[in-house]
Amino acid sequence: MASIDSLQLHSLCNVQSSIGKAKLRIPSNLVVFRRRLENLKWVQVETNRRFVCRAIGDSSTPDEDIQNTQNDNDDVVVVVGVATTESNTPSDSENSVSRFRSMITTLPPVVFVMKKCSGNSIWIGICIAASVLVAALRAYAVIKSRDNQPAGSVADLVRRGQLRSGDRRGISKSLNYEDPFNNPFVKLDKGNSTVEMCGKVYRLAPVTLTEKEQTIHQKRRSRAYQWKRPTIFLKEGDSIPPDVDPDTIRWIPANHPFATTVSDIDQDLAQTNVYQKQGVPFRIRAEHEAMQKKLEALQNEEKLNNLSIDSQNAREFQRPYKLGTKLEGENIQKNSQDNVTGNSSSEETHKT
Amino acid sequence: MASLRLFSTNHQSLLLPSSLSHNPLTSSSPRFVKNPIRRSPIRSVLQFNRKPELAGEKPRIVVITSGKGGVGKTTTTANVGLSLARYGFSVVAIDADLGLRNLDLLLGLENRVNYTCVEVINGDCRLDQALVRDKRWSNFELLCISKPRSKLPMGFGGKALEWLVDALKTRPEGSPDFIIIDCPAGIDAGFITAITPANEAILVTTPDITALRDADRVTGLLECDGIRDIKMIVNRVRTDMIKGEDMMSVLDVQEMLGLSLLGAIPEDSEVIRSTNRGFPLVLNKPPTLAGLAFEQAAWRLVEQDSMKAVMVEEEPKKRGFFSFFGG
Repeated sequence: MASIDSLQLHSLCNVQSSIGKAKLRIPSNLVVFRRRLENLKWVQVETNRRFVCRAIGDSSTPDEDIQNTQNDNDDVVVVVGVATTESNTPSDSENSVSRFRSMITTLPPVVFVMKKCSGNSIWIGICIAASVLVAALRAYAVIKSRDNQPAGSVADLVRRGQLRSGDRRGISKSLNYEDPFNNPFVKLDKGNSTVEMCGKVYRLAPVTLTEKEQTIHQKRRSRAYQWKRPTIFLKEGDSIPPDVDPDTIRWIPANHPFATTVSDIDQDLAQTNVYQKQGVPFRIRAEHEAMQKKLEALQNEEKLNNLSIDSQNAREFQRPYKLGTKLEGENIQKNSQDNVTGNSSSEETHKT
Repeated sequence: MASLRLFSTNHQSLLLPSSLSHNPLTSSSPRFVKNPIRRSPIRSVLQFNRKPELAGEKPRIVVITSGKGGVGKTTTTANVGLSLARYGFSVVAIDADLGLRNLDLLLGLENRVNYTCVEVINGDCRLDQALVRDKRWSNFELLCISKPRSKLPMGFGGKALEWLVDALKTRPEGSPDFIIIDCPAGIDAGFITAITPANEAILVTTPDITALRDADRVTGLLECDGIRDIKMIVNRVRTDMIKGEDMMSVLDVQEMLGLSLLGAIPEDSEVIRSTNRGFPLVLNKPPTLAGLAFEQAAWRLVEQDSMKAVMVEEEPKKRGFFSFFGG
């Protein structure tokens, strides 16, 4: 504890020496550190010790200082707040002294810093005030620009969310941005034809390609690259048809992932499909028709099955026992036979 | 054939301040500077505050190709296509990549693609049912060639695309103004299919030697197939690397390929973010530099124009003490 106290005292002396490089002595009159804390009781601690702090590197001799201090008979009275109860017992006083020492070592640097920064606080305040002023001016300018817009336009409806914005309504807005060469952010240099834009300086360099040079390039390419559009696509192993320019043949590998030489669709049909403007597309219609036919076939098959099995229908084929009903029954039978046989009855009638 | 217009009396006055001296060379030689040694100030004649006038015959069938993969074909297709739609033109974008479809991802329409060209050819749906209309811009439509696992007969892949384009021309709601075809990478069957119906091409390249060699090869094949109107977009341009001579400049690229310049797109990390969101770059507010460059490229495409000057980064000039106060 004593070593800590000495260290703290040493640090205090160092700090104080950095200010004035002079011997600092706590005056013989009262030195009061008042510090009010909650839950603490004010305890007056008196000590007869003379508290002298001596700067390091002082020119004065230590003996002289000690002599001076010894001559002082005044007491140093310090008033501090401690958390303990009032007590004047020796052990308590020692504890309070140690606490007092620790408080002294901690408090002065704070005081020292505050005293040092007192000069800068004015500048900090000025900066804060300036930033607040700028923000206020900016907000005022924004409000003013908003007020300048015409009231009651479609833009107000869009702003309020009642209407979708022009882009989303599919209304093509004509481009009307300022010409970059008249833009105030683009600065033109009058002498050297330079342009300052986005923080960089650019010079306008003219295009130097002439028509003659272009022709030379075209001739060079026509000599270097000889190519004919392929019109015949063959798989590996196929024979080359006669009277065909070999440059127009394209050989396709058999395992090409995204292509096939065999066209699955008729070319004319494909062309017709592409040119179709309205109606159901060909494949959809074909599938629909196929499905329709299948359904009809199924229905007819069910009908046949139902006619042969159903017992109620079988009564129609029964011969009537009564004479009166015989003719009716014959008629019914005939009708049913006609329904069942279809064409055969018509053939019979034709025969007769 | 591209119409060469530098000055038009119907248009508004020129944009740059009058203090810049008049360049007699640009008025006499419409397209190119005859004497490259004389470095006279460049006057811009492009007017971005008016709607561009459509040049050429409708529909304009443009294939966007590159040869090398990953240079930005699909990004260019999405952004230029939407820019054209914003200008008021009707656009149909066709993703002609047979196996790896991703134009729908860039546009954020991947959940709405139900039918593709394969279903149209097979007769499973009509052509208008396979077109996906963008809800943000109703005059922009997407058509995908195939789903990843379906097969398209290679024998008539190119013919099928020709039929599709022809059917789009004769559809009841009218022919679109632009049909933009996103070509797959390489010079294989997919490339041959995609370039079949096109009558003009945009070659997308980056300023590195591998992309340039492939681009040169593709340009030769396009010219062999009869496509003569080929313009170039240089993508992923890093002006700081060009300034430090670590990257070829746009003019160097042009010197190597010998093609007219449609646009120079700066490198922008916003491209990746826009891809992740399914929201093309040109729709960003405020617009980014790359988005502005795409819009300008679309503007030139409509008017069949090309770039007359490129921007080269320079060292910022040192400011004096009083420049802080607005001098």
